[in-house]
Amino acid sequence: MDFEWSVIWQALPELLKGARLTVLIALAGLAGGLMIGFAAGLARAYGNAVLNAIALAYIELIRGTPIIVQVMFIYFALPILANVRIYPLAAAIMAIIVNAGAYIAEIVRGSFLSVHRGLREAGLALGLPLWKVLLYIIGPLAFRRMIPALGNQFIVSLKDTSLFIVIGVGELTRQGQEIMAANFRAVEIWSAVAMFYLIMTGALTLILRMTEKRMRIL
Amino acid sequence: MSIVEFKKVTKRFGQVTILDQVDLSIEAGEKVVLIGPSGSGKSTLLRCINALEEINGGDLVVDGISVKAGGRMVRMIRQEAGMVFQQFNLFPQMTALENVAFGPRRVRGESHQDARKQALDMLAKVGLADRAHHYPSELSGGQQQRVAIARALAVKPKLMLFDEPTSALDPELRHEVLRVMQALAEEGMSMIVVTHEMAFAREVGTRLIFMEGGKIAVDGEPRELLANPRNPRLKEFLQHVI
Repeated sequence: MDFEWSVIWQALPELLKGARLTVLIALAGLAGGLMIGFAAGLARAYGNAVLNAIALAYIELIRGTPIIVQVMFIYFALPILANVRIYPLAAAIMAIIVNAGAYIAEIVRGSFLSVHRGLREAGLALGLPLWKVLLYIIGPLAFRRMIPALGNQFIVSLKDTSLFIVIGVGELTRQGQEIMAANFRAVEIWSAVAMFYLIMTGALTLILRMTEKRMRIL
Repeated sequence: MSIVEFKKVTKRFGQVTILDQVDLSIEAGEKVVLIGPSGSGKSTLLRCINALEEINGGDLVVDGISVKAGGRMVRMIRQEAGMVFQQFNLFPQMTALENVAFGPRRVRGESHQDARKQALDMLAKVGLADRAHHYPSELSGGQQQRVAIARALAVKPKLMLFDEPTSALDPELRHEVLRVMQALAEEGMSMIVVTHEMAFAREVGTRLIFMEGGKIAVDGEPRELLANPRNPRLKEFLQHVI
């Protein structure tokens, strides 16, 4: 067969639009996921029995079910249960938030608890409340240890956005699928879509590498 | 009023009793040296004073505040009782100067400038002004421990707690730490020191406490006790450490 470059040039504007949406969902989802992940992770590591139990239930619920089921639930079941209208884009972002949040929680918990216990005692012994010890002493050390694992999660979440094809969000994979359905050029279109994902994950990897280089793990 | 007052303090880890109804009162200005075999409860006794360990029975009052008062009051105790750890526990992401300035800045809430100035003074005091911008990993063990002492002093405590401050150091590095501690004692600082350094106990200590099985077995004047230990267990212990 012939690889028609012109097919890709023609599809480029649509694919770019899809890529933009993919980046938007990933960024918004991961920003929210980081917030929830930090909250749940710290609740697991340092919270009282109630906070710990809530965080644990959330983490196990999310890690124990496929993300595609989660997004289906948010998009189709939640509107019935809560009597609200949920737009596909909002459902997609929410799915990344709750899904990434659960995995990030475990990353956060693990890295905070991996910091030598003596440092926490040294901070407390100076007369600081625990939250300040976590903010000024343990947090900065834990953050450096988180970077590789967070990088993994960012890449996984970015690629998970392709699943939102099932609820009709016009992200990159969906755009590829629609173009392909019109011109039947599977080889060209899916190669182009794959390249787009590689560029995005590549950029992410690069940013993480640079961050890691600037922060020695201590 | 005593600066530290143990009233029938009991501490248990699970089924094991570490401190067994300990009564002890320490006056301001005393330099108390705590010795005893491992597992005798000496470190635990020290860590109860600044509430790093929670007591299970009795009461423990430090500078007029009970360790059971909780939250803010416990933090007040910790600001009055500086602690130096066996493993130094310096904050590895901060330079020596930042480690020492941390207390004044984040605990006492002083300005960045003032905190830095005080930290420099403290580092000079422990003889490390020229190492201010080194990270802990770039310092020797003895230097790290002196920074740790400066860090504790920078919060301006009334009492210093030393938990085996020289045990993790090579013999030739110990004296630089002990010298700093001695200078501090000579300034009149109240100190409680868990250690195996008998020479320090003799030279600097004003009181020697020998612990065994979670109880205070011997309590007296260091020179006298070290020269003529009447308690057979203390005698045996001293034969092992000296």
